[in-house]
Amino acid sequence: MTDVLIDHFTYEYPGSTVKVLNDVDVTFKHNHFSLLTGPSGSGKSTLLYFIAGLYPHFIGNDALGGIKFGDTDIKQIPSNEISHSVAMMFQNPNQQFAMDTVIHELTFVLENMLVEPAKMDGIINHALAFCGIKQLRSRVINTLSGGEKQRVALACIVAMDPPVIVLDEPFASIDPDSRLDLIKKLKQLQVEHGKTIILADHDLNDYKGVIDEFYYLDPDTHHISLLDSQSAQHFFDNFKNTQTINKQVAIPTEAAPSIINIKDFKLQPHHSLLLKLGDFKFCKEKTTLITGANGIGKSTLFNALTKLLPYDGEIDFAGKNIQKIRPLPYAKNVTLLFQDAENQFLNITVKEELDLSLKNRTNQAYSIDDVQTMLKELSIDGRDDQVVYSLSEGQKKKLQIIEMLIMNPPVLLMDEPFKGLDYHSLEVVVGFLNRSKQEFHQTQIIISHQLSGLDTLIDYHANFADQNLTYQEVIK
Amino acid sequence: MNPGLKLLLVMAIALEISFTQSLIVNVILICVSFIYILFNRVTFKALIGLIFWPLFPALGLFVSQWLYGSAGIHFAWILFTRIYAYVFLGATFTLTSSITDLALTLEQDFRLPSKFAYGVLAAFNLMPKINEEVQIIKTSALMRGEALHFWSPKLYFKAILSSIQWSQNLAEAMTSHGFVEDQGRTHYRVIKITAMDWVWFIGLFGIVQVLLFFIRY
Repeated sequence: MTDVLIDHFTYEYPGSTVKVLNDVDVTFKHNHFSLLTGPSGSGKSTLLYFIAGLYPHFIGNDALGGIKFGDTDIKQIPSNEISHSVAMMFQNPNQQFAMDTVIHELTFVLENMLVEPAKMDGIINHALAFCGIKQLRSRVINTLSGGEKQRVALACIVAMDPPVIVLDEPFASIDPDSRLDLIKKLKQLQVEHGKTIILADHDLNDYKGVIDEFYYLDPDTHHISLLDSQSAQHFFDNFKNTQTINKQVAIPTEAAPSIINIKDFKLQPHHSLLLKLGDFKFCKEKTTLITGANGIGKSTLFNALTKLLPYDGEIDFAGKNIQKIRPLPYAKNVTLLFQDAENQFLNITVKEELDLSLKNRTNQAYSIDDVQTMLKELSIDGRDDQVVYSLSEGQKKKLQIIEMLIMNPPVLLMDEPFKGLDYHSLEVVVGFLNRSKQEFHQTQIIISHQLSGLDTLIDYHANFADQNLTYQEVIK
Repeated sequence: MNPGLKLLLVMAIALEISFTQSLIVNVILICVSFIYILFNRVTFKALIGLIFWPLFPALGLFVSQWLYGSAGIHFAWILFTRIYAYVFLGATFTLTSSITDLALTLEQDFRLPSKFAYGVLAAFNLMPKINEEVQIIKTSALMRGEALHFWSPKLYFKAILSSIQWSQNLAEAMTSHGFVEDQGRTHYRVIKITAMDWVWFIGLFGIVQVLLFFIRY
């Protein structure tokens, strides 16, 4: 029996006084598939890292309370045996392999676990076959897609064969087919191989009917509670609601003025076709929402629009081929709000960051008072000397949005700009964006999974599916 | 030949020709390395690159020594060929050995701590990602009105920040894949230094000594 017992567990990050986990007292049951949900940044990952034995080693300070696998306290397990008890799958598919090829990584794992070399081939073949990736055996990991990499990560776990498997938002950047397939594989590991599975995710798609237990980490109380089926159902319904808005939008007419035109366009990084467009336009001074499943290529499209990735065909900005516009002027005209806020920061403190935007902006649309008001409305004012990297994820996002609004580029691309924002902040940001569009004539293109609350902002909706981008009237 | 021994041999010879002055030995080293590389089927592009890129420093050294040096044109030729000897000797290693094999032999035969061997290997496999990251940093800076060049401290600050983050993630991933510092591991592929490896190593190194001793021009 390997129940995972979390016993009065309290943790705060070094240098912080906020308890991200406050007296958490739950039991993840043996041979169950447990889903742990809660808003991003609420501390789900932190708990999983402790369960996987990575913390406190990799973070510095310890937590109060304990974690037990059955009767064994995790602290009693020697460090070279912990991987016989628990294995972890990470969120970022790119940073979980030490070796170059799939087969080398699998042997690396087995060598670490002191498996006899003679037995390795059998174990590896079984693990690859189980995950349906025999054909990837000799491939170089860097050339695999996100979905393939996560399958390799699962194959490593299957080869390690620990009783407990923890997964930290493992599907955040992979395509829907891979996601569904991996969830099925995990279920199979639970049912046929008796594994205990603990998975953290804030995206609740595909879990209904698969999971046995539904846990919720409350971002206000920092408690985790096991929900009954009724409350769980409530969460599933709620999640569905955040993914829809009841708004009919128009389809841009032939005559609608455009600012970005895409012609005979093909996007195929790593030689797999993501998007093929004959003729497509983004309309001037409008907000276009792009929806579509994870990992399908939406962010990659933004990378092409910002010249971060090569593509076939032509992209025109204001009638001019973007390859013929010099990098600096182009970047000031077509600007990307990166999904990861840290990518946008160049300085150390909040004040330095804001000053940089004020110094380099191309127009004076926002006054200093405007900026102060915006900071106040998002309640991140008075933090002038704070190091930006020490802000919470939500605060980073807010600062990033304000500094890019100050730049006031004619076209602002936004990749999941509402991720990590609470609903009130989202409404405030939507207000800012509306002002930017109406008063300063900004064109906005938004990739977002969060849809509720955006009704007043969206003018057009383009759906990304089947290697195509098409305008649609309904948003779903 | 065992990649660890090969690396040792290449470095030893390179060090030696830095302190000796024999034009003919330099040329012999270049020719032998060139033939060795040809036999190992490298791409044409790599070969052209090997000849083309060192031309600038080699010519630079040659011209400055020839026109302004006091040791004459013979020494200028030695400097010229020395650059090419370094490059081709290095290429016999880099173009024909796998970094994975090197890590395995360093761990198993040279008793390098496994943490170091696999850490370097993991970092090496991250190289293409680092290039992408630098591109992202530059583009994002442009969007904020700053052009970062390769001499901009901010570029390095951001790149180092990312590297620290990545190395942390990588260390966590290796740990979760069962890797523990200074603990025993089994070896699926045992790489041994064979008697034949030693014969080649000592033989080749000996031949270079003999050549350097007798050919002083």
